[in-house]
Amino acid sequence: MKREIKIDPVTRIEGHAKITIQLDDAGNVADARFHVTELRGFEAFCVGRTLWEMPSLTARICGICPISHILASAKAGDAILAVRVPETAVLLRRVMNLGQIVQSHALSFFYLSAPDLLLGWDSDPATRNVIGLGAKDPDLTRRGIRLRAYGQQVIERLGGKRIHPAWAVPGGVNQPLSAENRRWLQEHLPAALDTIRFTLDLFKRSFVNDEMRGALGEFPSLYMGLVAPDGTWEHYAGGLRIIDGAGNILADHVDPTHYQDVVGEASEAWSYLKFPYYRALGYPDGMYRVGPLGRVNVCDRFGTPLADAELEEFRGRGAPSGRIIDYHYARLIEILASLERIERLLKDERILGTRIRAEAGINALEGIGVHEAPRGTLFHHYQVDENGVMRTVNLIVSTGQNNLAMNRTVRDIAAAYIKDGKLSEGILNRVEGGIRAFDPCLSCSVHAVGNMPIALELIGPDGTVVDRAVRD
Amino acid sequence: MDFVIGIGNTLRCDDGIGARLIASLSEVPNVAGIAVHQLTPEIALRLCDAGRVLFVDAHSFAQRIALARIAPAEDPDITGHVLSPATLLGLTQLLCGHAPQGWLLSVPGYEFGFGEELSARARAHLPVAIAIAEKWMRSAAVMEGGMD
Repeated sequence: MKREIKIDPVTRIEGHAKITIQLDDAGNVADARFHVTELRGFEAFCVGRTLWEMPSLTARICGICPISHILASAKAGDAILAVRVPETAVLLRRVMNLGQIVQSHALSFFYLSAPDLLLGWDSDPATRNVIGLGAKDPDLTRRGIRLRAYGQQVIERLGGKRIHPAWAVPGGVNQPLSAENRRWLQEHLPAALDTIRFTLDLFKRSFVNDEMRGALGEFPSLYMGLVAPDGTWEHYAGGLRIIDGAGNILADHVDPTHYQDVVGEASEAWSYLKFPYYRALGYPDGMYRVGPLGRVNVCDRFGTPLADAELEEFRGRGAPSGRIIDYHYARLIEILASLERIERLLKDERILGTRIRAEAGINALEGIGVHEAPRGTLFHHYQVDENGVMRTVNLIVSTGQNNLAMNRTVRDIAAAYIKDGKLSEGILNRVEGGIRAFDPCLSCSVHAVGNMPIALELIGPDGTVVDRAVRD
Repeated sequence: MDFVIGIGNTLRCDDGIGARLIASLSEVPNVAGIAVHQLTPEIALRLCDAGRVLFVDAHSFAQRIALARIAPAEDPDITGHVLSPATLLGLTQLLCGHAPQGWLLSVPGYEFGFGEELSARARAHLPVAIAIAEKWMRSAAVMEGGMD
């Protein structure tokens, strides 16, 4: 008898999703799917709005990574204005994006995933959260919270507020950095660096082993991310690099505005999330991964000493890494790299410049803004009329690009742990943990209140629920 | 230092009443007002040295404005990065070895769809809620209860 298991909603991720696991007659996994169940519709309702509204409008896609959308939107706007953004504004945008990477990665690791790692996959779900982490290791928890707060301070001290600052605009930014705010960020940076080095040591000591490697599985795929002209890790500019599971470069320094030459978009009836793929290999064989693991796999170096030392150690275990657990490892290395870069950028006196915005009218009818959001490469593609009113809007978000890989991850973990139809909460949590490693952001701008229960159902071929377990 | 923390999203109509209350408060020495979208773990560390904290939030199920004491949650139930007031106090207790005395000012909300305006009924509650919050700010001992 075929049965289906549902995990709905998936917990400790940003947004709303469910997982269904199809069992065969013997009770083993036949297939599994990760469904995104919320519809946002930004691409549709932004049509008719002006270019100048787009950074603020698209920032509302997400409460965790609004900066990513503000920056991608502003860059698309730069192209439509056909201006050269002042160098101070570029430096400030870079610092802002690095601060965003720090705060988002810290949230993902310390608040959402560290409870699984430090408390155990099979620990009591009632305490498997940041509170349980605080009870188990208050020092690490304090450090993690302060690290995220530092990233938020970068955003607030540049943009005026932590969430949805109307700061980056087509042509530059609308507020310079004060000497006082630069001093504050410089003074507090050493503590943040100390925390991430401490956490990386803890992670390598405790979780880089065969047991953890097996917990979430591994599989080869393609990887994509921006790199600088010399192959260095890049987050704001540069070109797209795509490598295969053996590390061979399939495409390099692709102008990101030509993304449609390499990225295709598919859709499935059972999910609102797109399924981007590498066009040369077709759908679904062109599955690729973006985000921390994608970027760490594709770059030649970080270009900062501490992160480069970590990269060498990371690659000592085999590169490129297809291990799902290594999303966390790569995330921590990227926090370190981001802090080193923030330190370097803040030392540059040009950062205090006041020429921060190029003003112009509509000089092109199409613009594409691309940069690396915490979860991966983000594309904003706009077409406007002569007045700068949006005619088409295409957004390819980072999480979507991991969609195929997340489905593969769910299927692999479910197949490894579910035998003869036997289930446990710990298995359920491992399946969710595989998704959490990608840190999917399914849009969290809606203020949700209340519990997010997790329900697991076994459904018979006639649609009746034959078994049900609920955690609420 | 005492804190008044207004919780909510100003883009979701009555959900923004906490933030609007913070914007309208008179200045009182040694009391800081903060408007936040959600309660997140970072706020716990800001409360380490706080004596008292008043949370202000819109509640769809509330029939009247109510002020109630809240204790740090001993058995918190969270699944992400968003905390309830009691859970935030519990986390503060864990991380700081101390939690401030907590109060929750619940203000009835009626409309939580997209919009930057309060509903007429919620707007009518706002002056009353501000009066209660300012009384709380000026007094170390506040009576619990509600006001219509």
